[in-house]
Amino acid sequence: MTAQAAPITRPVMTSPDSPPPLRRRRKPSLYGTLSKVLIALIVIVQVYPLAWLFITSLRTEQDFATGDPFALPKSLTWDNYARAFETGNLGMNILNSFIVTMGANLLIVLLGMMAAYALQVLGFRFSKVVRGLFLIGIIVPVQIALVPLFIDYSTINLLDTYPSMIIPLAGFALPMSIYLFSSFFNYIPRETYEAASLDGAGPYRIFGLITLPLSVNTVVTVVLVNSIFIWNDFIFANTFVLSEELKTIPLGLQNYIGAMGKTDWTATFAAVCVTITPLLLVFLVLNKAMIQGLESGATKG
Amino acid sequence: MLPNRSRLSVLVFLLPPLLLYGAAVLFPILQSLVLSFFSWNGISDMEFVGLANYVRMFTGDDIFWRSFFNALGYLAICLVLQLGGALLVASLLTSLSRGRELIKTLYLLPAVISTVAIAFLFVRIYSIDPVGLLNQVLQWIGLGALERPWLSDINTVLAAVSVPEGWRFTGLYMLILYAALLSVPLELEEAARLDGASRWQLFTKIRFPHIRPVWITTTIMATTYGLRGFDIPYLMTNGGPGQSSELLTTYMYKTAFTSTDFGYASTISVFIVVECLAAVGLILFMLKRKADA
Repeated sequence: MTAQAAPITRPVMTSPDSPPPLRRRRKPSLYGTLSKVLIALIVIVQVYPLAWLFITSLRTEQDFATGDPFALPKSLTWDNYARAFETGNLGMNILNSFIVTMGANLLIVLLGMMAAYALQVLGFRFSKVVRGLFLIGIIVPVQIALVPLFIDYSTINLLDTYPSMIIPLAGFALPMSIYLFSSFFNYIPRETYEAASLDGAGPYRIFGLITLPLSVNTVVTVVLVNSIFIWNDFIFANTFVLSEELKTIPLGLQNYIGAMGKTDWTATFAAVCVTITPLLLVFLVLNKAMIQGLESGATKG
Repeated sequence: MLPNRSRLSVLVFLLPPLLLYGAAVLFPILQSLVLSFFSWNGISDMEFVGLANYVRMFTGDDIFWRSFFNALGYLAICLVLQLGGALLVASLLTSLSRGRELIKTLYLLPAVISTVAIAFLFVRIYSIDPVGLLNQVLQWIGLGALERPWLSDINTVLAAVSVPEGWRFTGLYMLILYAALLSVPLELEEAARLDGASRWQLFTKIRFPHIRPVWITTTIMATTYGLRGFDIPYLMTNGGPGQSSELLTTYMYKTAFTSTDFGYASTISVFIVVECLAAVGLILFMLKRKADA
C-alpha cells in the first residue's frame, strides 16, 4: 500500500529548488490510487502462480509436503532438476517440440505467403470464394478434424509421425497467416509491381525479388504468434502420437504424473520450469514484436 | 491484378496452400459430416444409420445435455474473466503514467505456458492436502469454512476447471482492447471532459462505442475459443467426478478414442461446429444491431 501512494508525493523530492506553489498540483484522486492498487492486485494474480511454480521447483520434498505453500523454502536444492532429467526424456521432448514447431512454421509462412500472393497480388475471378473457404478454418474448432484425421492417418500409415502433428497444426493456422500476409501485401504500392512488370518480370520473379524480401517483418510476426500455440499443442500430439521417441513437451510432462502411483511434484515442477524456459526466453527477448503481432492478428483478422 | 500473370502462375501459388488446407481442415469437416450418419467402431464395416445418431444425441443422451450445459457454464466463466477482466485492466492501464509496457508483458505471461503445465499448477493450487494456495488464502482471510478439495467437489469442479482457461488468456484480450483504447481520439475525450462528463459517461459514450468493432472481434475470438476448450478440463479432471466437469469436447474425445464410437463422436463434433457458427452469428447479430440503433 505504501508503494502505491509514493508517486503522489514524488514531485516534492525531484525539484527542491522550485517554489512549491508552481508545482502542478494534482488532487490525490481516489480513482488514481484505486486503479493502481487494482492493477497491482491483478498482476500479482497473473504472475504469482508462475513464480510459485519456480520456487516450488527449488524446494525439498519434505518442505513441499508439510510446509505453508506461501512460505519461502527453508533451503534451496537442485535435486528436483536432477530427478526431473532422470525420470523423463526432457531433452528428446524439447527436440521433438522444436522439430514440430519448425516444420509447421515453415509450412505456415511459405504457404500462407503463396496463398496471400495469389489472392491479393495476382488476383483471380473466384478469389472471394477462396477467401471464404479460408475463413471457415478460423471459426471451426480443431476437434472436428480429430476423428477423420485419425482414420485417414491410419489408412495411409501416417499415425505416430512428425507430419501427423505438423499437418493439422499448419492447416488450422494457415488462414490467420494468409490474412496477415494479405493485409501486409496491401501496403506494397501497385506501382512497384507494375514497374517490375514493364521491365519484363513475371509473377515468379516478382514474388522472389519484391514480395518475399519486403515481408520479413510479417514473417517474424507470424512465426512468433504461431510458435506459442504450436509449441504448446496438446490435443493433436495426444491423439496422433503414441511412441515415446516422438513425444513433444506437453506429452512428456504427462509422464511425470501418477505413472508410479505417487506423483513427485517438486520434480514435476522442475520439469515444467525446464520446458517453459525456451519459449519464455524468446517471449521476454522479443516481447515487443510478439505483442505487436498478437494485436495485429486480432484487429486485422 | 498483375498485368502479365498467367492462369498457371495463379495455380502454382494457390494450389499448395489449398492442398494442405483441404487435407487438414476442409476434407475432415466433410468426413465428419458423412461419418455422423454412420455407426462405426473403426474395425467392423461402416453401417449407415441415417439420423439415428442425431436422434440419440438430442433425445436419448443425458450425458450429452449435461456436457452441453457444462460447456455453457465453462464459456460464461471464461468470457467474464477474459473479456471483463481484459476490459477492466485495459481501461485502468490507460490512466497509468508509467510501467505500461512491463504490465502488458507480465499480464501476458500465462499465455506462453503450455496447458499441461497450467493444469499441473492449478491442481496444486486447488489441493487440500498438502494445503494449496487457494485454501491457504481462504484460511488467512477468515473464510476457512469454504476450504474444500475444489476438484473433487461436484459443486465447484466446473468453475475450478474454467478459471485456469480464463486466467490464461485474459492478457491476450487485454492487449487487443488496450491497443484499441489507445486509438480513441484524445480531442474527443477532452471535449467530453470539458462538458463535465463523468468517468463512467466517458467510458460508455465515447470510449466503448469507439472500440466496438474490436470488441466484436474479441468477443468472437473468446467465444469460439471457449466453446472449443478442451485441454485443461481433460487434463485436470477428465470430466469427472462423474460428469460434473464434462464438456462437449471432452465427451466427444472420449466417445471417439475411449469408446471408439467414431460415428457418434462425429455427430457430437458436427454439433460443436454448428454451435460455434451459431454463436458467431448471434454475436454479430446482437452487437451489430446495437451499433445501428
